[in-house]
Amino acid sequence: MGHAQLNEPRSDNSTLRRLPHQWGLILALVIICTALSIARPVFLTIPNLVNLIRQISINGILAVGVTYVLLTGGVDLSLGSLVALTGVIAASFAHPEQYPPAVPVLLGVLAGAACGAVSGCVITKGRVAPFVATLGMMTAARGLALVLSGGRPVSNLSREFTWMGSRDVAGIPILSLIFFCVALASHVFLNNFKLGRYIYAVGGNENAARTSGINVNAIKMLAYTACASLAGLAGVVLASRITTGQPNAGVGYELDAIAAAVIGGTSLSGGVGGVGGTILGALLMGLINNGLDLLNVPSYYQQIVKGAIIVGAVWMDRSRER
Amino acid sequence: MSGKAGCWRRGAALAAVVACLACGRGTQAPGRKPIVIGVSLMNLSNEFIVLLKDSMDAKARELGVQLIVNDAQRDAATQVRQVENFVAQQVDAIILNPCEFEASSPGVDKALAAGIAIVNVNSETRSAPTAFVGSRDEESGRIAMDYIARRLGGRGNVLMMHGFMGQVAQIKRDQGAREILARNPGLKLLADQTAEWDRAKAMALMENWIQSYGPGIDAVFAQNDEMAMGAVIALEHARMKDKVVVVGVDAIADALQAVKQGRLDATVFQDAKGQGSTAVETAFNIVRRQPYAKAAFMPFQLVIREDVDQFQRR
Amino acid sequence: MESDLILQIRNLSKSFPGVKALDDVSLDVERGRVHAVTGENGAGKSTLMKVLIGVHAPASGQILFKGRSIRLRNPHDALRMGISMIHQELLPFRDLTVAENIWMGQEPTRWLPGWLDKPAMNRGARRLLERLGVRLSPVTKMRELGVAETQTVEIAKALACRAEVIIMDEPSSALSGREVEALFDVIRELKRRGVAVLYISHKMDEIFRVSDTITVLRDGCHVATMGTGEMDENRLIALMVGRPLDAAPPPAAVNRGDVVLEVRELTKAGAFRGVSFALRRGEILGLAGLLGAGRTSLVSAISGLTPAEAGEIRVGGRVARIRTPGDAIAHGIAIVSEDRKQYGLVPTMSVKHNITLASLAKCCRGWFLDKRAENRIAGEQIRAFSIKVPSLDRRVTFLSGGNQQKVVIAKALLADPAILLLDEPTRGIDIGAKAEIYAMMRRLARDGKAILMVSSEMAEVLSLSDRILVMREGRISAELSPENATQEEIMKWAMPS
Repeated sequence: MGHAQLNEPRSDNSTLRRLPHQWGLILALVIICTALSIARPVFLTIPNLVNLIRQISINGILAVGVTYVLLTGGVDLSLGSLVALTGVIAASFAHPEQYPPAVPVLLGVLAGAACGAVSGCVITKGRVAPFVATLGMMTAARGLALVLSGGRPVSNLSREFTWMGSRDVAGIPILSLIFFCVALASHVFLNNFKLGRYIYAVGGNENAARTSGINVNAIKMLAYTACASLAGLAGVVLASRITTGQPNAGVGYELDAIAAAVIGGTSLSGGVGGVGGTILGALLMGLINNGLDLLNVPSYYQQIVKGAIIVGAVWMDRSRER
Repeated sequence: MSGKAGCWRRGAALAAVVACLACGRGTQAPGRKPIVIGVSLMNLSNEFIVLLKDSMDAKARELGVQLIVNDAQRDAATQVRQVENFVAQQVDAIILNPCEFEASSPGVDKALAAGIAIVNVNSETRSAPTAFVGSRDEESGRIAMDYIARRLGGRGNVLMMHGFMGQVAQIKRDQGAREILARNPGLKLLADQTAEWDRAKAMALMENWIQSYGPGIDAVFAQNDEMAMGAVIALEHARMKDKVVVVGVDAIADALQAVKQGRLDATVFQDAKGQGSTAVETAFNIVRRQPYAKAAFMPFQLVIREDVDQFQRR
Repeated sequence: MESDLILQIRNLSKSFPGVKALDDVSLDVERGRVHAVTGENGAGKSTLMKVLIGVHAPASGQILFKGRSIRLRNPHDALRMGISMIHQELLPFRDLTVAENIWMGQEPTRWLPGWLDKPAMNRGARRLLERLGVRLSPVTKMRELGVAETQTVEIAKALACRAEVIIMDEPSSALSGREVEALFDVIRELKRRGVAVLYISHKMDEIFRVSDTITVLRDGCHVATMGTGEMDENRLIALMVGRPLDAAPPPAAVNRGDVVLEVRELTKAGAFRGVSFALRRGEILGLAGLLGAGRTSLVSAISGLTPAEAGEIRVGGRVARIRTPGDAIAHGIAIVSEDRKQYGLVPTMSVKHNITLASLAKCCRGWFLDKRAENRIAGEQIRAFSIKVPSLDRRVTFLSGGNQQKVVIAKALLADPAILLLDEPTRGIDIGAKAEIYAMMRRLARDGKAILMVSSEMAEVLSLSDRILVMREGRISAELSPENATQEEIMKWAMPS
């Protein structure tokens, strides 16, 4: 030892090394799937599995979005309200014979992006804590959704618009294809782009990132804007699925999204985590909902069981890490 | 803004706002103080309640009555506080759209103790108000389930979707539905779950039920139209809609359209307009010491395809 | 003073996956004596200390406290026995008072159970601090204290826990001149009271000044234990490193080039005023002074982290507007901060990612990262700086202090700066790694880089610098040349008048 010869440092394939960290979670998923298939064999059928991925898609898109923000060490509580707001906005432009469906989709996503930029500004320039800033956006956006819709759902949407929330392509719901594309793009961005790396740096140690010449404020703005844009997309997709723009939609969605990301290994203090884990987390939550419904567990017990499984899965995962 | 200039600007803005509010108070009937009625509504994010409010506003304008409308946002504690504020402001009467049977009762008690008339609209509280205007929610459950029983010829598998567990509407509609189920032994309740009045949740629930019970489903009773629409969309995607009877409650615009198109089998009309305007009228009469009905029950009405047009006009 | 064996360590062994941290180590600690433990990074010092305070359980061996074999399951056990540790990284409760910190965990109560007896706490704290010869008001909030005072409070806390053995881990690393003296006074007081002190340090002069016995560890093994009087510096170093170290080579004749960095009347309220100096290519400029003189603020201003308010910075003759670290990097200025945990490293990232963080553009094709290039570049840096790490993807927190510092330096140098600002570059680093960093600095200077080094170690400043600037209370008080200057003279210029 001493300063004797150095073993040539290799680079382990980073994804391969990260996978074992999620073993606890993957184990939990396998256990639940097995248990469900035994209890209700219908669980393992293609239609039910397709159902499952369809049902996790919207929360999945939100969870991928919030991963950006959590990675920078922040949080975004406004997601549910943004889903409602963008759904209302998109639906207002999606009546038959009005505009081509690309217009409401674009407007919804841009509305989300605008709200994200506002939150981002308040957090970076205004130096307001993310919790507080996004809490404010949560109530304001919900109010705006109610104002724009007059408290009523915006219905009568064109077939072209609702196509994306209802149709399948080669047996896979388009909803889920959108989720998959979003997840893939985000994964590639976070792992293979300079800006993606900077997001991890800012969350890991903001000061060190700053001294490395990274524009921390710009990165945070990017994260909040990206997250809210994805929330906008989720809102548009939800409106398409339920064929109305509902000002009351999405209540509590932000907590489900954050739960999915955290279960998947994204740390609330920032710098750790990623899209892969988030997908697993969203999958776990979807499994629980799907399973409990198939087993016809009474509603009250569903809440308790859900809470227990979530804590259990995370505990198993974290204790492995230690 | 900083300094003196900012101060003046802010003061002027504040004065302007106050002036606007004062203007908005409306014209006074010559020589007579207008009646002021405080209204506490359960939840203005609910479409039905919005209809209620609109009809109250219309009636109030017609009678020259001034309404102060508050939104309790589904919280009974907030509602009681709002009633206390009305009492402190010494309004002439209060219209209460209760959040909860028990927890909203203190509001009624406080109003009565202060000698202010209070009219409950749409839902009941344990404490008896001066007057009640509403419908009997059990009726809607009965009507809906009865229609299902008739459509299925008295035998078949039924699924029920609940609203928020514990809310009066959910409890009463469940009660009414089960009465009919008890009377029809050929009808089997396969499962019942809450979808919390929400379309998206109902859709997911229906999709899971389709997996569980498949072709064994004959009918779905959803305790409100939003959930019924969710069920309909899910069934349509699974290409099962023509084999399943779906009934909702409320007769919101979207549902009426769906009944007209033959997508939703039936809904149950709750006369929001009637409830709202009668509530205002009753309160007005109480204050003017004119005769009023202590309890006015508006009936629920079944709406099927043939009836849609007449209901859409209301 | 009766010399009693209060602590006996017998054949202690401890392994972690892949490495044997302690191999059959035995040690005796006497009451009322200062026992220095020294060795390179990775020698096993911190593992030994962690076993002593109950953080790790030994795989084999025994610890005898006052003659009885003890088993420590957690730090609480160790504290109760009377073994206390003053860590290198102090973590006081900043918003609580001195007394509250001292009595944390064993507060005296009165009246109701749990009702804090604040007057008793303050009285007790005052007594303890007086015993240590320190004047400090027990109601001061910890955040108002400097590092030295905070450390003293920690020692008082150890006494409050009735510690009979106090382990001090690099206690002087954050202290300068006068404060180190004060620390030694406190240690002498502790000795008088019969407390045994285990003093872990790399600083030769301190070890020789304050300790009675020295133990040397190397690669987890016990190498030697001798009375301090029987040891001399060269022999000690030889024992630590396993081979005699060459004497530090004299500063080679360097081609001192043009002025690359010029600072004129740089000012920042509350930190420094009217600072002017010039830095040439190939030169090592040492910046000496006491803690609080403004050196770190100055360097932080030049690097763009906390920009100056007035004055001018010129790079390569042209005025440079430096308001963010990005500006500084663009002008070829790189900094290695004083506090690598706060400003230097991202703890959640791997060694590879940390090294490339400031120069990701080099590993990129447009906005897309070229992972292969990144691996190659990081690998080169690791070799160039002899950073000991089994894999590029290991999290940087697993590295020793010296290797972590090398990572920060490698990161700074990857950006190809013409000007390198080093703030306390060898703090908390063992002698072997220090020598490597010194050699590195000389090599860089020879290659034409301009280096501004802030250091509180006089010996380091004198041996490395081509020129020395002394800062005092925010201003440059003197410029000295290392050939003529002595430690005392630097001290003279550094002390506030």
